[in-house]
Amino acid sequence: MRYLLTFFFLIPFSSLPQSTSFDFHSLENIKKFADHLFCEEDYLRAIEQYELIQKQLSNDTIEFKVMYGYSELGLFGKSNELFEGCNYESVFYPDAYLLSLKNQLIIASRLINDSSISSFNSFQKKSFNKLTTISMLYDDEFDIPKEKFISPFDEEEQNSVSSFYDYKVEPQYKSPTLAGIMSAIIPGSGKMYVGEWGDGITALFATSLFAFLAYDNFSADHTTRAWIFTGLGAFFYAGNIYGSVASAQIFNVRIDFDFNNGLELFLQQQNYFLPEYDFCK
Amino acid sequence: MTSVNKIFFIVIFVWLSLARLFAQDSFADQFNLAKKLYDEQNYFDAITEFKRILFFDDSEIYNYDTNRMIGLSYKNGGKFSDALRYFTIAEIQSSTPEENYNCRIEIIKINILRRTTHRALTMLDSLAADAKYSNKLDDINYWRGWTYIFSDDWEMASSSFSEIQPNHQLALLCDSIANDLYSAQLAKFLSIVPGTGQFYTGEYVSGLISIGWNVLWGYLTINAFMEDRLFDGLMVGTLLWWRFYSGNIQNAEKFALEKNLEKTNAALHYLQYISIEKKP
Repeated sequence: MRYLLTFFFLIPFSSLPQSTSFDFHSLENIKKFADHLFCEEDYLRAIEQYELIQKQLSNDTIEFKVMYGYSELGLFGKSNELFEGCNYESVFYPDAYLLSLKNQLIIASRLINDSSISSFNSFQKKSFNKLTTISMLYDDEFDIPKEKFISPFDEEEQNSVSSFYDYKVEPQYKSPTLAGIMSAIIPGSGKMYVGEWGDGITALFATSLFAFLAYDNFSADHTTRAWIFTGLGAFFYAGNIYGSVASAQIFNVRIDFDFNNGLELFLQQQNYFLPEYDFCK
Repeated sequence: MTSVNKIFFIVIFVWLSLARLFAQDSFADQFNLAKKLYDEQNYFDAITEFKRILFFDDSEIYNYDTNRMIGLSYKNGGKFSDALRYFTIAEIQSSTPEENYNCRIEIIKINILRRTTHRALTMLDSLAADAKYSNKLDDINYWRGWTYIFSDDWEMASSSFSEIQPNHQLALLCDSIANDLYSAQLAKFLSIVPGTGQFYTGEYVSGLISIGWNVLWGYLTINAFMEDRLFDGLMVGTLLWWRFYSGNIQNAEKFALEKNLEKTNAALHYLQYISIEKKP
């Protein structure tokens, strides 16, 4: 009876330590914590934790998660360095390959020439086709029929892809030479051609005004004042030609900028056609 | 019971008690480690270790403290959005009015730093209206003063600090800064007489140049009208005189605003380094 009572008395002391004693830095707990951080999208800390255990607990899931984490952090080069060490036999190899292509596209903004791999499933194959096709837009020698270009994409993506194609084939550039010539003939018309109507009208008004003042003062024999107005008129006239050429160049840069920005935004919205991974479900 | 058995049970008892003691300490140790990293200003690692406690602490004993410390670490790292998130969680986890108050003040401090003045003032008003915090009115006024400092309203800041104590150190400082600032409206008004707005803001050269241009174009305009050269008068008057006259007014206002910005930046810089117990 005494033994039984003593044993009973000791139970709480023996059970509590097990419930509260904790090794935060065991391999298993570091991995659990890293998985939690990964799902919280705290990729930097998750990678740090994974790297602590990678030597002892190396597996392709962790390797892919680290690669994915680096990519999400915007360290695309680092992410691709990890891909170089990726095992071809790994179940994650096709996903890692697609991720590396995405990284490559972001880093270099150029045509993807890499070939498809046999271990792709149908969805991954589709992602690959979309990614390589859209990368053609970054190529200077863009020569592909529209139907063929938009064919790999889903119906809801085709509208956007089609407009990118049109931009690429026929960019709405304005000719700087034409803008300059137009402004030389009719002051301000080059600006109006570029779409800057307000500036165009102001240039036309100012140049005409100074020309009139110069003419009027020459007629009235106020030669000094007439030459001042002639100088001002010539300054405005030359400035308006130069301004028209510059405006056309700026317009063209803006067209390219809008195109690149729009394309980047579209790709981000589509997650670069990569699948959603279910590590956290 | 034999003596051997007695010793056996005593050893077991002591061993288990010690084990329990150490076990209880493992979370406390982890918390102390994270706190040490925080104190060493190693905020990134501190956050990692606090998050580790949060993840593994099923008893939720450390929930309030860790969330608050994570918030403080993020705040010190300049990540205000993350800090706000964790202070809000800590506020929810708080178990006493004091803890709740501390979290809300931290949230207010972030709003002060972000210059989301309206939000900070609304939260301070809500604290002041809460009977639980009737003993915190001085503290609430103190943070209200800082809110006004960061929103560049030095007079209101002074008035808030004065409510704590009429000759409060910060009230006097705010008063002196408020008195030192230029009135942009007055600078504009004075510029009706060209150059005087610039003189008011201490920009004497600019004021003299402004007077010069306005006298020149004013003279030419009036002269043209007096000689019946209406077109010349209109052109010089509108394209030149009016341009310089309105420019003189805009210029005076710009100088006043620029000088005020310099003064307020210098004041904030001073406040950053002087020894005050509490700062946002």
